[in-house]
Amino acid sequence: MAKGIKVLSNKSMSLNDQLVECKRPEIVYIPLVNHSKMDCECLVKVGDKVLKGTVIGRRNDNIDLPIHASVSGKVIGIEEKLYCNGEGVKCVAIENDFREKSVDLRGAKKNIASYSKDDFITILKECAVTGMGGGDFPTYIKYKSELNTIIVNAAECEPYITADYMMVKLHADEILEAVDAIMEINGIDKGIIAIKESNIEMRDEFIHYLGTYPKITITMVRNVYPIGWEKLLIKEILGIEYEKLPSDKGIVVNNVSTIYAIYKALKYRRPISKRIVTVTGERLQEPKNILIRLGTSMKNVIEEFGGYIGSSKIRFIAGGPMMGTCLDTDDLVVTKNLNCVLVIDDKDEADLPCIRCGRCIAVCPANICPVLIKDKVNDFESLKYLHPEKCIECGLCSYICPSKIRIRESVREAKKEIRRH
Amino acid sequence: MEFGFDNGPHLKDKDHTSKIMSRLLMALTPIIIFAVYKNGLLPYLEGYTNLYGMLKPLIIILLGVLTSITVEIIYFRFILNKKDNLIEEVKRSYALFPGLFVALTLPINTPLWLVVLGSLIATLIGKLLFGGLGHNIFNPALVGCLFVIASYGALIGARGGYLNPMEIDTIAGVTPLTNLSNINYVGTWSNIVKPFGSLRDFLLGFIPGSLGETSKILILLSFIYLAVTKVIKWVVPVCYVSVVFVMTFIIGTMNNIDIFYPLFHILSGGLLFGAVFMATDPITSPTTRIGQIIFGLGLGLLTVIFRFLSPYPEGVLTSILTMNMLVVIIDKIGAKAKFKKGYLNISLIVLLICIITFSIYIGYNLKSNTNKVDDRFNIIEIREENNKVIYEVTQKGFKGLIKANITIANDKIIDVDITSQSETYWMEMENQNYINRLINKQDDLENVDVVSGATISSNALKAMVENVLADYEVRK
Ligand code: SF4
Ligand code: SF4
Repeated sequence: MAKGIKVLSNKSMSLNDQLVECKRPEIVYIPLVNHSKMDCECLVKVGDKVLKGTVIGRRNDNIDLPIHASVSGKVIGIEEKLYCNGEGVKCVAIENDFREKSVDLRGAKKNIASYSKDDFITILKECAVTGMGGGDFPTYIKYKSELNTIIVNAAECEPYITADYMMVKLHADEILEAVDAIMEINGIDKGIIAIKESNIEMRDEFIHYLGTYPKITITMVRNVYPIGWEKLLIKEILGIEYEKLPSDKGIVVNNVSTIYAIYKALKYRRPISKRIVTVTGERLQEPKNILIRLGTSMKNVIEEFGGYIGSSKIRFIAGGPMMGTCLDTDDLVVTKNLNCVLVIDDKDEADLPCIRCGRCIAVCPANICPVLIKDKVNDFESLKYLHPEKCIECGLCSYICPSKIRIRESVREAKKEIRRH
Repeated sequence: MEFGFDNGPHLKDKDHTSKIMSRLLMALTPIIIFAVYKNGLLPYLEGYTNLYGMLKPLIIILLGVLTSITVEIIYFRFILNKKDNLIEEVKRSYALFPGLFVALTLPINTPLWLVVLGSLIATLIGKLLFGGLGHNIFNPALVGCLFVIASYGALIGARGGYLNPMEIDTIAGVTPLTNLSNINYVGTWSNIVKPFGSLRDFLLGFIPGSLGETSKILILLSFIYLAVTKVIKWVVPVCYVSVVFVMTFIIGTMNNIDIFYPLFHILSGGLLFGAVFMATDPITSPTTRIGQIIFGLGLGLLTVIFRFLSPYPEGVLTSILTMNMLVVIIDKIGAKAKFKKGYLNISLIVLLICIITFSIYIGYNLKSNTNKVDDRFNIIEIREENNKVIYEVTQKGFKGLIKANITIANDKIIDVDITSQSETYWMEMENQNYINRLINKQDDLENVDVVSGATISSNALKAMVENVLADYEVRK
């Protein structure tokens, strides 16, 4: 298994400023989406009055998860908007009445460690806590099994992104309190916060409060990409390898921002309605971290903060530079799993013939052979032993390729080919 | 605002294929300079050749490069009908390399038209007809080189083969490996290495060989540079050379030859050059790390087999072309081994068994041949006279044959009577009483110092004495 490589960080661009909050949006668009399910059920109709936290949709296949309104107001339509994976999805459009009236969820406890495990899982579910590092995977599922270790993923390994760092800067204490409570509730005895060794500042933020929580330790991990990938992170910190899920080994990994969402859920029994997004890139007037209401259109946010600079073509990317998706418009809705919007120059670099240097193989953290997969994209028999389905789409193969071949796309295609059979 | 699209990732590593190729060229530059110096400038300065002879290595290299570039331009323009960006296309195809490598793997005495032909074959058949850069199965340069050596080897040999103008006059005969095969692979320091100087000369490159291959020290330095800057798959040469070392070590040890033997094998011929520059050609070598290990091990095994068991003593070219053919299969093993360790273990065990078996087989078979002697030595007659054995023999010296009657009594040489010779520096040897020194130290010939100024003649005499003793030993 490859161990990741050092990539350019470019983080300082968005780090220079304090967190700012953007204007409250006139209209929010809440996508009826969770994780891989792109068409969740809609529970409201045009004209309905909703409050902040009203369940307006629900995922009800094998996973049960509500979808909440992020403002109070009136449903004015079901519209298609751009989701961060580049697809247009159905969204509930809510006209904001600027009253911030919230659903009153009773039963929040002062001491957040005093919930039972069942209550804990129910709360994560009803507050729709999902992975905020990008996955949008329902968090409660991770807590269903017996656990012994929690790793808080604060590695934030993608270049440019500093949203998690900003989160820690503002809420280190609450995050630690939540981790401590999670450990108490789930009978977990090992709590580890994983920080990149280059990010001393983040460690210092935690150290201010760490004394109160003797069971939680900080581990500094190598400054490589994709160290934030669960499998690599667990291997790095604990030396453990697993087949399917980390919970098979009693391990749970949560992103820091997700932990903060858990904190909110436990403390107030409320879903989050805003998130920090790193809005950065050389083509933006003011790269910074912005606290944005879920469902806001990115277009308005960018306009509010000075818009673009320059006149040549831009690339508008939802997510980080490695795994993010390039979009052909900025009319993107902000969702819980959108940690970054990146706007950079559109420099076209023509690809050269593959010289079969093997770097894409050497670098692949999923231990597969991108260039050989490219040779056999449509050959199902060969794909069976090449395992393109193990690809985590980290993009390192395309990153490292000296011929600048977008080799990840070939692996994606092969994945589709596998799925067709 | 206009939005561009790209699948990403939107950060790219700074390294670039064109930079890789420039680094390769950079690593080759000292080797090219040395080739020009050793084969052209040096003989010229020492007065062994004329101006043309001085420029010949440079001409060969330039001709090789120009030919392959021209071929690609013509191919792209007229066969593929690319009109715009023609120069760009040819640049992107790194057209100069096949021709350059062909030139560096050819002997200095290759006729110029043959250089052009070899480079043409390399570029056209070895590369373009397979579909161009990235699609060829065989190392293009080796395809061209194989063609030249296989079809016109005799012609080149007749013109002096691998010997530069200076070596023709100072070294009797051949390349170290041909010499080794002539004496049937077994011998001592004095008939394996000594005729060409010392291992230091091997290392520095002042021995006969193709243009690029002789300076091992430069090749090693290039290897380090290329490995550190990630131009080549360093695993391949490391495995390759290790296997050759281990196998020739076993073979040598079985035949009581010192540790210099494996070193000789590594430093002779095109092994290092081939291992560092040819076997690592990215396009024709495996992409997986495990594949590269198997590839390297296989190369070593094949090279030793070819060197000892085939009539062609070089072995590197043929091994690389053979292994090129297997790359697809090897990569398949490499890919499978990522998830099933069994594939790796089985291939390694099979290779290891082959390596050991062949070493022992070759080592054992050489033993029974030990008695053959070098072809510069000839026995005219053996007489027995009252308990004495008299050998009438000839040995090729610096100039022509040295004839002698050598008398043995009680298993010892008691007299060496030179009956005719035409050596240039005979007086020096007589002055130093060289023959008597040989007779006195006949049990320890290796440590008899040669007469300075008459190295080749001294070595010839020494070899003669050695050969007689060896023959006598057998007959007894
Ligand atoms: S890194 Fe690029 S050039 Fe190298 S083998 Fe992979 S695809 Fe080919
Ligand atoms: S994108 Fe997929 S194939 Fe490429 S390096 Fe990452 S995991 Fe491997």
